[in-house]
Amino acid sequence: MATESTSNQRFEQVSRVKGQAFEALTFGASVIGILALAMLLVYVAVDAFDLEAASPEWLLTYFLTLVIPYIGFCLYSAGERAVTRRTLLALSVGLLVNAVGVTLIEAAGTEIPRLNWQLMYLFTVVLPVTGYVTVAGTQGRVGAVGFGLLGRLFGGAALGLWVFVLFIVFDTQMWFVVYTFSVLPTVVLVAAGRWRSNQLLSIAGLVAFPVGFFVAVTLRPVISSYPTTFLIYLWTLVLPLSALITLLTAKQHDRKTGGLVGATVALVTLAGSFALAGGTIPGTATLLLMLGVSTLTVTYLHRVLRSGEGLTGLTLPLLLIAGALVGAYLVKLTGVPTPNPWFDLSYVQGTPTTQVLRARQAGFFPPIVGSVIIISMVAVLSFVLGVGTAVFLEEYTSNTGFVGSVSRLLQVNIANLAAVPSVVYGLLGLGLFVNAMGLGFGTAVSASLTLSLLILPITVISAQEAIRSVPSDLRDGSLAMGATRWQTTKNVVLPEAMPGILTGVILALGRAIGETAPLIMIGMADIAFSPPSDIWSRFSAMPMMIFQWANSPSPEFRFGVVAAGVVTLLLILLTMNASAIIIRNKYERGS
Amino acid sequence: MAESTQSESLITTDVQVDTDTETVRAPDTIVETTDLNVFYGEDQAIDDVSMEIPEQQVTAMIGPSGCGKSTFLRSINRMNDQIDSCRVEGSLTFRGKDVYDDDVDPVALRRRIGMVFQEPNPFPKSIYDNVAYGLRVQGKADDVDLDAEVERALRSAALWDEVNDQLDKSGLELSGGQQQRLCIARAIAPDPEVILMDEPASALDPVATSKIEDLIDDLAEEYTVIIVTHNMQQAARISDKTAVFLTGGELVEFDDTQKIFENPADQRVEDYITGKFG
Repeated sequence: MATESTSNQRFEQVSRVKGQAFEALTFGASVIGILALAMLLVYVAVDAFDLEAASPEWLLTYFLTLVIPYIGFCLYSAGERAVTRRTLLALSVGLLVNAVGVTLIEAAGTEIPRLNWQLMYLFTVVLPVTGYVTVAGTQGRVGAVGFGLLGRLFGGAALGLWVFVLFIVFDTQMWFVVYTFSVLPTVVLVAAGRWRSNQLLSIAGLVAFPVGFFVAVTLRPVISSYPTTFLIYLWTLVLPLSALITLLTAKQHDRKTGGLVGATVALVTLAGSFALAGGTIPGTATLLLMLGVSTLTVTYLHRVLRSGEGLTGLTLPLLLIAGALVGAYLVKLTGVPTPNPWFDLSYVQGTPTTQVLRARQAGFFPPIVGSVIIISMVAVLSFVLGVGTAVFLEEYTSNTGFVGSVSRLLQVNIANLAAVPSVVYGLLGLGLFVNAMGLGFGTAVSASLTLSLLILPITVISAQEAIRSVPSDLRDGSLAMGATRWQTTKNVVLPEAMPGILTGVILALGRAIGETAPLIMIGMADIAFSPPSDIWSRFSAMPMMIFQWANSPSPEFRFGVVAAGVVTLLLILLTMNASAIIIRNKYERGS
Repeated sequence: MAESTQSESLITTDVQVDTDTETVRAPDTIVETTDLNVFYGEDQAIDDVSMEIPEQQVTAMIGPSGCGKSTFLRSINRMNDQIDSCRVEGSLTFRGKDVYDDDVDPVALRRRIGMVFQEPNPFPKSIYDNVAYGLRVQGKADDVDLDAEVERALRSAALWDEVNDQLDKSGLELSGGQQQRLCIARAIAPDPEVILMDEPASALDPVATSKIEDLIDDLAEEYTVIIVTHNMQQAARISDKTAVFLTGGELVEFDDTQKIFENPADQRVEDYITGKFG
């Protein structure tokens, strides 16, 4: 109690030592994991891109021609003094700290393995700063347009390559007859029925699908000569996609614009793929790559040009390409020693090898194809099974009575299944899919079924959480409108829960793509020299191949080739996650 | 605490009773209950309620919290089926048919009885899709001019003028009062015979509330409205008949609104209306 009522009354201090210690501890705990992973990734990147051999001059050239213009573009787009000041400060102070610090450490006699101060500067300052200015740049209109275009270029390329990989195990000629006799007539009839509001035509369209499918399957072995693959893709993919874009654009704007956009897509696809193929008939990969890129970019360009805002942003891809070319030219001109990266185009396209002396020739193509196909099948299977189970448990079972007990039992079991080690799932796959059902040793079918079972508990639990978080108000509202339970689930619950469901599936797929133990158990090939021809042939997958290489006696394999493999795996995983996140955000914005 | 001063201040002196009872003919009964009992597990929520709700009038249900008026409302369109522990005894007929008969499909029943909830609960879809929802799920969308039906429903809900140029906007972007009118438009779009309203204005501000009340007045020309409310003035203003429930799910009095508010037969009703308890 204060005995004097003067103004300099004093409060006693309350000790916060424990709280502060706890805060520091939690902060440390959250940072440790990220730091460890970041360090690993730095070393993987150094190995995969052979940055150890990069001379300071080489780094400086590209820093000046590529990084500085990029940062400049982002700062211009952000258009904020504070951001610019912070960026410049970080770049200059970071340079000083790295140069002085690392030199001092080295002078003290402790070598930092495979890193010099230039590389340290690259990883500790340049990369984070680039990330920061990228985020700041996307806030501005110019940057939004530029990164939108860049994203669509990459997204289109990824999409095209993905379709290409899927078609490797898909019978192209089968697809040709199915498309011609079944898909096309169905779509034409249903569209005509919609347009003329003629019920009969729509029904005829729906009948045409199975009939045409049957005809196609019967005709497939009978027909002896087929058009070339190029023509098939032109007829079944390029034309319909251009037509679809024409229709969609025409619906939004007018017929002329629609025709213009659709024709541009087709033209850019053809011109681009012929140009890439050097004037000859382009290969499938080139055609699909260009199709993906042109579809996304042309529609985007149309939108941007129409709104007429931030047009300078469209120069971003040109800026980057020009920077890379100028850098390459300068490096060649001055004869600066350049790194010889393990991760390059020939690695991605090449055939694997484990021969000690041929590390430079090692490629990764068959495992990439294997993993992409497996993960595509796993995505479909686990999504259907996971969402189905979750909907059943959340929407269709009651909490009481016999059904209630069964669903509680299921619930407990699913929670426990999530904790079963993956090698046990491998055993299950071996026993059930390979031996009992005879789906074959190491085929894509048995692998994707096994992996789907492995991640099923995770997808089910996250989908359940998402469905449970849909307010019951909405369910009641729908039921009170005279909707059946199925209509309520389909129209209200699932769309509302979809972002959460997708988040869970993305996380689960990330786990599935890196699993090795179950693949070993079901007899996946360690090494495959050519990509699989269909889903029943023996596959190899990326983690299997990386594991195999990591056992090699040659350090070139253990460091260079493995690092390049890890980079590929991470890139594919990131692309996959990014596309899933984009779809999820679309859903969230749509609601 | 001076009991009298508190009740003085709560006495509803400004009650205006809906006096334009132009309906001379005795209206038909649309919903009728006989000895209706509803239980949640062991707890009884509705106790032997018998009443006849007339067609094309506004029937209000008032009473203190937990008196079972919402439960009663939800029994009419069998929304209580959603609650596992809920059990209904006695008879509740809709146009002479007991809705709890085995051959009554609750989904078909709800297509004839619309409902508006306490909290505005528009679907996270566009305004247009919200209003068209009932017609679509009931399979009527192909037989009618959907655009015209949506416009009619929005006009009936006095929302058309505010949203006609933004039908693609999400229903969640509207204000609370607009959302509730959207829910009313959604409920009347499939043209139900009865509209149940569970305290539709309790989550709204006075301006929005008065809009909803005007709306209910208009709706009564076409529809039968059964409304649960906490607000006695509201019941007095908008309803033709009023039912007073008291704690324990007992129906104490059910009569013309004017009579309930001016000359109730039961002392407890008078006490409740004048604010002596509840």
